[in-house]
Amino acid sequence: MLEINNLHATVAGKPILKGLDLKVGAGEVHAIMGPNGAGKSTLGNVIAGREGYAVTSGEVIFKGRNILELEPEERACEGVFLAFQYPVEIPGVNNTYFLRAALNAQRKYRGEPELDSMQFLKLVREKLKILHISDDLMHRAVNEGFSGGEKKRNEIFQMAVLEPALAILDETDSGLDIDALRLVAEGVNRQRSKDRAMIVVTHYQRLLDHIVPDFVHVIADGRIVASGGADLALKLEEQGYAWLEQGGIQSLDVEIRG
Amino acid sequence: MNTSVTQGLAERWAGEVRAVDFPLAPEWLQQLRGQATGRFAADGLPHRKVEAWKYTPLKRLEALAPGLPAGNEPAGAAAVQAPLLENNVFTVDIVDGRVRKLPGDTPAGLTVLKFEDALKLYENRIRGLAEQVELSGPGHAFAALNTAYLHRSLVVHVEKNTDGGSLLVRWSAGSGEEKRFESFRLFVLLDDGARLELVEQHLGGGPAGALNMMVQSQLGENSRLDHVRVQTESEDTVLLTSTSVEQAAGSHYGYAGFDLGGGLVRHELYTKLGGNGATTDLSGACVLDGSRHGDTHISVDHAAPDCRSEQFFRGVLGGSSRGVFNGRALIRKGADGSSVQQSNANLLLSPLAEIDTKPELEIYADEVEASHGATVGQLDETAVFYLRSRGLSDAEARHMLTAAFCHAVSSRLKNRELAEKVGRLVDAAMPGRPGSG
Repeated sequence: MLEINNLHATVAGKPILKGLDLKVGAGEVHAIMGPNGAGKSTLGNVIAGREGYAVTSGEVIFKGRNILELEPEERACEGVFLAFQYPVEIPGVNNTYFLRAALNAQRKYRGEPELDSMQFLKLVREKLKILHISDDLMHRAVNEGFSGGEKKRNEIFQMAVLEPALAILDETDSGLDIDALRLVAEGVNRQRSKDRAMIVVTHYQRLLDHIVPDFVHVIADGRIVASGGADLALKLEEQGYAWLEQGGIQSLDVEIRG
Repeated sequence: MNTSVTQGLAERWAGEVRAVDFPLAPEWLQQLRGQATGRFAADGLPHRKVEAWKYTPLKRLEALAPGLPAGNEPAGAAAVQAPLLENNVFTVDIVDGRVRKLPGDTPAGLTVLKFEDALKLYENRIRGLAEQVELSGPGHAFAALNTAYLHRSLVVHVEKNTDGGSLLVRWSAGSGEEKRFESFRLFVLLDDGARLELVEQHLGGGPAGALNMMVQSQLGENSRLDHVRVQTESEDTVLLTSTSVEQAAGSHYGYAGFDLGGGLVRHELYTKLGGNGATTDLSGACVLDGSRHGDTHISVDHAAPDCRSEQFFRGVLGGSSRGVFNGRALIRKGADGSSVQQSNANLLLSPLAEIDTKPELEIYADEVEASHGATVGQLDETAVFYLRSRGLSDAEARHMLTAAFCHAVSSRLKNRELAEKVGRLVDAAMPGRPGSG
């Protein structure tokens, strides 16, 4: 579904991604781990098309098409979804209104009929029920005054309504206590399916106790330096990231790429 | 620099106003009118050297060069736009500055009358309000002209301890060809404990013209006036409005203004908190695009202790539009325990748009709580990306965020029907909205 080849990207002129390769198939959940500043969040933002992240070479092939030439909204309509590390508060824009506008924009792009407010409400009720989210969330302005947990759950809720083919969860665990983390993870797990790929970007292993990935990749200095199964995350948890700086990657009992 | 041109228009008007065939009026009004026309002829129109008009040149008014009404023209055709309120409301239509229709079935306690009929009932109160209007100096030229045409007034009165309900006053230009500078005044008299929701709707729609509007309200003790003003005038219209409110103890005045159209728009809003514990909440949104000009001048006068006032104003400016916001609060000596809040936030959507915003606080009392803030900024690009990452186009995202900025004002309206309709008008008025080209 997603194939990233030799991706180089800069932020404010500074090289962050330096030849990153990654393949993600439908139905797979990939975790991207690594120390701060390694390029984890940059990867998600580059795929989603955020301004200020300049791709200097390489390609991102999504469903057979290089999406780097598409606008952010076109990527979204093609099925890319980024759950933000810091979801943006938008005072004055009602959550329901916003989400319906977004869904209808995507449906229009795909040549599907738009949903009227009754049809949309029905869909929203179903999704809220599945995710155990109170509908109070829907009457409020987008993320305004939401707690950290509510913001992240709102991201997962948006994902449930928009039903993307590829979901990138950027540090979804940051700022959450253990109960909130469990709720968010449950929401994510309910949306795992054979048609949907997920990339879970995280600094800590604890999220992966709840969202168990099929593959774990370690990113360092803009490249993927190690890949393995879910057990790789446990090793990282035990040993930290210090070995990366000490050049001791060989000491880890994992498949080494690059 | 344009003084001479403005002077030309002022001189022509001075001649025209003297030639008007005014209807007969009581002695005091004849005198007041004579005084007003004399002041206008002597002082001329505001120019750049008048501080309050420094940023608002009258070039458009000169270019429009409207004539003054002769005094006895018939009212034009009916209003063209859907009313802002349809449920439980009494509606008055004013076309070309003439009252066209009066509600005959107002609730007990609410009286709505044309000037000549109102004089029979409220002569002293009307006279008191009319005579206190400052007429001298070029800064008050429009008040002087308005005073000359005082017979073109509507008087609204709500009896003691009565709820007058909702009154909608719709202003529109008629179908006449001639461009005219119309004057009109609205008097609102609330007795002690009275309540009223007053909605002013400026429709535009007719040929370009200019309106010189004054609203004078007198709020008795513990009365409450909720005043909403919405204008969606055409781009070549000049709309000059002065709203002044006198508040007795314990009264509340709420104002929400939506300046969504017009070529040259200026609103002077003055409230005097004259009795203990009076409160006033002033809010407004001004949306400008193209080469339009919008000016809001506010002055809140705390003249009694323990009063509270708020100013909450937002501006959205696109194209090469120009905005002016001047928010003044004066806390007089002895007005101890006053609370004043002021905020004016502006979004500039184009590098050519410009806003001059100035909060002014003058405090001569003790134990005063005061806060003020003025901001000028652009849309938050992170928020734009957030919306685009969910599938909305760049234009849709920007429109949604800009409208939301103004909805902060419309969502304060307690009347849900009104809030919804005004919200839609706000959406439609946004600069560069998708599909508007």
